[in-house]
Amino acid sequence: MGRTWASMDEFEAFLDDGGTVEVDDEMPDDYRQAVFAFIEMHANSELMGGLTERDWIPRTPGLRHKMAVLAKTQDEIGHGHLLYMVAADMGLKTRREMLEDLFAGRSKFHNVFHYRAATWGDQVAISFLVDAAALASQQAVFKNCSYGPYRRILKRIIAEEGFHMRMGEERMMLIAEGTDFQQVMFQQSLNNWWWPALQLFGPDSKPDDVLLRWHIKSERNEVLRARWVQKFAPMLISYGFTIPDPGLVHDAEADTWTAGPIDWEPLKRTLAMGGPDSARRIGEAAANWADTRWVREAMDNAPDRAAGAPA
Amino acid sequence: MTGPWNADIREFVLAFADDEHLMGQQHTEWIGVAPFLEEDLAFSSIGQDELGHAATLYAIVAGEGDPNREGGIDDRRLDALAFDPDPSRWRSAHLVEATTDDWAHALVRHWLYDTAEQLRWELVAESTLEPLAGAAARAEREEWFHRRHADGLLDVLLPAPGAGDRLRAALTDLLPLAVGLFDPVAGEVQAVASGVTIAPFDSRMPEWADRVRARFDGDLSSIDLSPSDRATPTGRTTRSNAFGPLLSRMREVLDLDPAAIW
Repeated sequence: MGRTWASMDEFEAFLDDGGTVEVDDEMPDDYRQAVFAFIEMHANSELMGGLTERDWIPRTPGLRHKMAVLAKTQDEIGHGHLLYMVAADMGLKTRREMLEDLFAGRSKFHNVFHYRAATWGDQVAISFLVDAAALASQQAVFKNCSYGPYRRILKRIIAEEGFHMRMGEERMMLIAEGTDFQQVMFQQSLNNWWWPALQLFGPDSKPDDVLLRWHIKSERNEVLRARWVQKFAPMLISYGFTIPDPGLVHDAEADTWTAGPIDWEPLKRTLAMGGPDSARRIGEAAANWADTRWVREAMDNAPDRAAGAPA
Repeated sequence: MTGPWNADIREFVLAFADDEHLMGQQHTEWIGVAPFLEEDLAFSSIGQDELGHAATLYAIVAGEGDPNREGGIDDRRLDALAFDPDPSRWRSAHLVEATTDDWAHALVRHWLYDTAEQLRWELVAESTLEPLAGAAARAEREEWFHRRHADGLLDVLLPAPGAGDRLRAALTDLLPLAVGLFDPVAGEVQAVASGVTIAPFDSRMPEWADRVRARFDGDLSSIDLSPSDRATPTGRTTRSNAFGPLLSRMREVLDLDPAAIW
């Protein structure tokens, strides 16, 4: 049995002092619920992200390129795998319960994976813009995360996501220097994915956000979002693309880039499973899960595998 | 010199590369839709390995026997071999061209192919074409895990009533295609004569058939598993009906703009 705290005040003082919570600690229920929900959503997002990209793996243009894309998607699903285990250890749901909640539309995943990768340009945009946004969020969690198991897993995830973003950047640069067709295709992908990627950071953090108070997140959503715009708007413009934000402001003197007003309705719709591709995404994942039930049942029932069968 | 090289050896190595390429390609279709996460990861790894074997073999061909010629083979030259040939020039076995729409077929094909692949690499392990022998040594280190993966699953699933029936039905569907793996390919006779391979692939077919019988414990009498006197060896010169849609899928992005580099 791990540590206990007499009160929430004492627990919060421990967190404020930089304390790290471990899985066998007697953490307050509200903290356990908040951390679990956060990790479950992260795990779901890694898996659904992998499923977004998988549609294009067989069509990847190039043999070695395909190996790299396959490895990237393997990373994403591997992140989901690790995160589901960390979440399951918290004792609130098993991995299988989490997956079945996901496929039944009962749990959440990031807004960007409620959209469809309709072209190869979208695939590159995801690898570049979305992975960069996810990486920025994860780095901000990793920096000071109070839940030890999650923080340790994030170290590996962040290292791999950095490679993904670099791969996306390299592919984007090839397109930027490529043919008119490629440039038109990627501009369309940028038009489609700029706002969802920006919305991934979420609305401005509320003053009473427990994720900040309990040192699960260490930076406010609006800070992360502004930093992302500051990095990617000038980079994409320098490559000849147009940022689909008529309200984007460049302060030349301070060299700052600030996004225009953000419409949060699309984000709200995705969180209610009403995104442009939510129904198909969930429906196909659920159908695949059902189609392979026979394998899981056979493994569950195998005589020498009473324990330890994968979920 | 890395060993013998001529048009016949080229044909012989290309046929192997085409099989590895399409087997890897088929595995990519199973990422994210396998029965549990560990299987998504396993099929990803196995797919990468098979595509990597294909890349190694195509590089030997592109370098005319020497994959390190002129500092190595760049992606463009590799992809020209992997994606550009006219369908009539492919030498893939129908087993790896086939679409599998359920996981039982994907697993059984994985086992059938990798069991044959082991025997195929063994034949070139001492090849006079040195890069091919090197590729065999590297491949076998990976293939051991592939076979262990497939066998581990079949150990559990074959005895299970419903699962075993599904897998045996998949075997019935796939076995007629799998025997085509052993069809003699152009250049094989010359490859044997020059020591690039020590024997025709179909000389190992009886051993493969014994392993299939032992693994599935089934009656395979309706399938002709004898070596090259089989009724309809194709020499791999005909493509199955599945090949056209498969190649279109593989080339979909490439065909968008022939001038583009992705």
